Amino acid sequence: MRTAGVALLLLCSAALRGQSEMDLADGKATFRSNCAFCHGLTGGGGRGPALSSGRFLHGSADDDIKNVIKSGVPGTTMPAFEFEKDELDRLVMYVRTLSASSGKAASVGPVAGDVAKGRQVYERSGCAGCHRVGSEGSVFGPELTRIGAGRSAEYIRESIVNPSADVPEEYAGVTVVAKDGKRITGVRVNEDTFSVQLRDASQNFRMFQKDEVQQVIREAKSLMPVYSSLSHDDLQNLLAYLDSLRGDLSAGAGVKKERGIR
Amino acid sequence: MRPAAALLCLALAPLLAAQNVTYERLVHALDEQQNWLTYWGDYSAVRHRNLKQITTANVKDLRLDWIFQTGQAGSFEAVPLVVDGVMYLTGGNGYAYALDARSGRQLWMYKHTFPPGRKGNGVNRGFAILGDSLFMVTPDAYVVALDARTGRLLWQTEMASFNNGQYTATLAPIVIKDKVIVGISGAELGIRGFIDAYDAATGKRVWRFWTVPAKGEPGGDTWLADSWKRGGGSTWMTGTYDPQLNTLYWGVGNPGPDLYGETRKGDNLYTCSLVALDPDSGKLKWYFQFTPHDTHDWDAAETPVLLNLKWKGRDRKLVVQANRNAFFYVLDRETGEFLMGKPFARQNWATELDAKGRPILMKNQEPSPEGSPICPGLAGAANFMAPSYNPETKLFYFAVREQCDVYYTNPPVYIEGRPYWGSVTRGVTEEPEWGLLKALDPLTGETKWDFRYFHAPWAGTVSTAGGLIFAGDADGYLMAFDARTGKNLWKLNTGSPIVNSPMTYMVNGRQYVTMPSGSAVLTFALPQ
Repeated sequence: MRTAGVALLLLCSAALRGQSEMDLADGKATFRSNCAFCHGLTGGGGRGPALSSGRFLHGSADDDIKNVIKSGVPGTTMPAFEFEKDELDRLVMYVRTLSASSGKAASVGPVAGDVAKGRQVYERSGCAGCHRVGSEGSVFGPELTRIGAGRSAEYIRESIVNPSADVPEEYAGVTVVAKDGKRITGVRVNEDTFSVQLRDASQNFRMFQKDEVQQVIREAKSLMPVYSSLSHDDLQNLLAYLDSLRGDLSAGAGVKKERGIR
Repeated sequence: MRPAAALLCLALAPLLAAQNVTYERLVHALDEQQNWLTYWGDYSAVRHRNLKQITTANVKDLRLDWIFQTGQAGSFEAVPLVVDGVMYLTGGNGYAYALDARSGRQLWMYKHTFPPGRKGNGVNRGFAILGDSLFMVTPDAYVVALDARTGRLLWQTEMASFNNGQYTATLAPIVIKDKVIVGISGAELGIRGFIDAYDAATGKRVWRFWTVPAKGEPGGDTWLADSWKRGGGSTWMTGTYDPQLNTLYWGVGNPGPDLYGETRKGDNLYTCSLVALDPDSGKLKWYFQFTPHDTHDWDAAETPVLLNLKWKGRDRKLVVQANRNAFFYVLDRETGEFLMGKPFARQNWATELDAKGRPILMKNQEPSPEGSPICPGLAGAANFMAPSYNPETKLFYFAVREQCDVYYTNPPVYIEGRPYWGSVTRGVTEEPEWGLLKALDPLTGETKWDFRYFHAPWAGTVSTAGGLIFAGDADGYLMAFDARTGKNLWKLNTGSPIVNSPMTYMVNGRQYVTMPSGSAVLTFALPQ
């Protein structure tokens, strides 16, 4: 091959690399402004599952990942995004780098711990008094049927030992102080300028007109008790159990639509 | 004349009057307290009516009188005109209607024909009227003239090439003398904004004022390189007008790309400014820029309300605006001189305004790739919903949005018809949003009273001599308040977030209050 040809090839290769870097930068920008809010700036997870483990619950092919982004996941907080085709391509290209570059893909597996023992911890600690797994338990707190698929292990650990670290808006606690001083606390189902609707720990709706009560207080802390006294083993086993919960949520749950903007 | 003939004439009188809305009538719109002749109710946008059938004492009996269902999906942001018993109203998606203002029964309907390939949906905010003609704009950026008697199309003129939806229009036009004056939307898609005047009789364009000056023109040096070509500066809300000064006041939108300022370094005139124009020629008389080099989408499209007040002992012609950037401004409307600017909502971007009204910036108030929490949020502390001014209480009533956002930024790529934002914002979850109905003294910027809404509102106010302020909230309540105390006296859950401003009118001695909600027009009155 003549020198000119080599130079041309090098030039092309540099140009291609330049293009690819630009695409990745674009994908990163789209990720930061649309995805990082739930999945973390580096894909480590948060309110949404980690994307840096190389494990994708709904399939690992590019098209599988694109489908999840385009259609959302019914029954979860993952909305459907409207991206242009090229935007989506660049986004998925970037999402892949989150696990590839960190080298975590191979090392991350199921959470260490004994799932069966973890389930006993779950039952013993009374978690089902507020949470639901499959058809068992209460609807007062967040459903945990697929919590292992939807949240990173670190997020779940934090939710157990420090539940107030992140309280999703749909589980905000509210206390209503009635005219006679009685206090009714529950999860806020709805609220407007003049009324508030709660779900109490007995799973009943409690509905109030604000001018008929003394006060409506938004609880700064989570209504969930702090479980910091669990032993290290109990906590680890509980985490392993929760991480193993990857079932289907109840049918009929809708998908939120979001218009992706870069 | 025999009694029967006399009765017939009396019955026809409103119809005949409806055909003659002269410029003189528009100038003196406040002399016709029963009518609502312009989008703002009159040229000054005070939105106060000397109607006192509904009062603080009897408003508790206010009830729904009629409903008109448009069947049109989308945000219902139109304020109707009422001319001698006839209500003229635009819906979304190119629809318009004339209704009997007493019964809500339809007199005619118009549907804009969208050329093939155009998305035919979008909000609209209403009509302007002159003589027998009504004027509206369409989502695909046409100015349309209709015969007010029949709804028949008289003429239509394309304001700008549609370009895959880059140019859109949503506002209610304003008629001044023989001209229909309109603005354009699309700063989020890389347009160069303008204000246009069209001949009311023919639809021919008479003048255009570019809100973003070209290189070499005055103000052109406030744009880096060729950034002015896609500099934004939408003019998406109706202006106000002072007939004595023969000056048109128009709030200009944000620069583009919205959240990325690196490619458009400079003050970016005349974005986020109030421009004062000669309505005969479109020539600029003066401008005042509220937010130089904006990177937060804080446009200046909020209502420029014209007030004549005693300012520090001297009668002055003022223009006031509760700006999206969270400051309330008072300017001299003859000269554009900055007189006062005070924050009315949470803000963490400016330490203060200097003597000329220019903001002195705080640190870390720029959007960043990692996200910057900034107040107010993208939608601003105020927005398009109309304020009102009551000359008896001497207070300015408006809706405040207490909401913050995390602002991200990244360099955008321009593709025709695609968003050209330079990234996006997300709500700050640790900072719950709320809203206020605020009564403010425009001479001091001090709050007289606040009423707190649970969510940040998208609805404006109207004031009446009955001592009432009508307002709406984001959860769908239409509400009446005591203008002096802020006490909530009446409310009704309309079942849909209200994204509009209420208005009031009178027909045959009965006062009505109208507020569109969802896809319906709801009209209220006292029981007969």
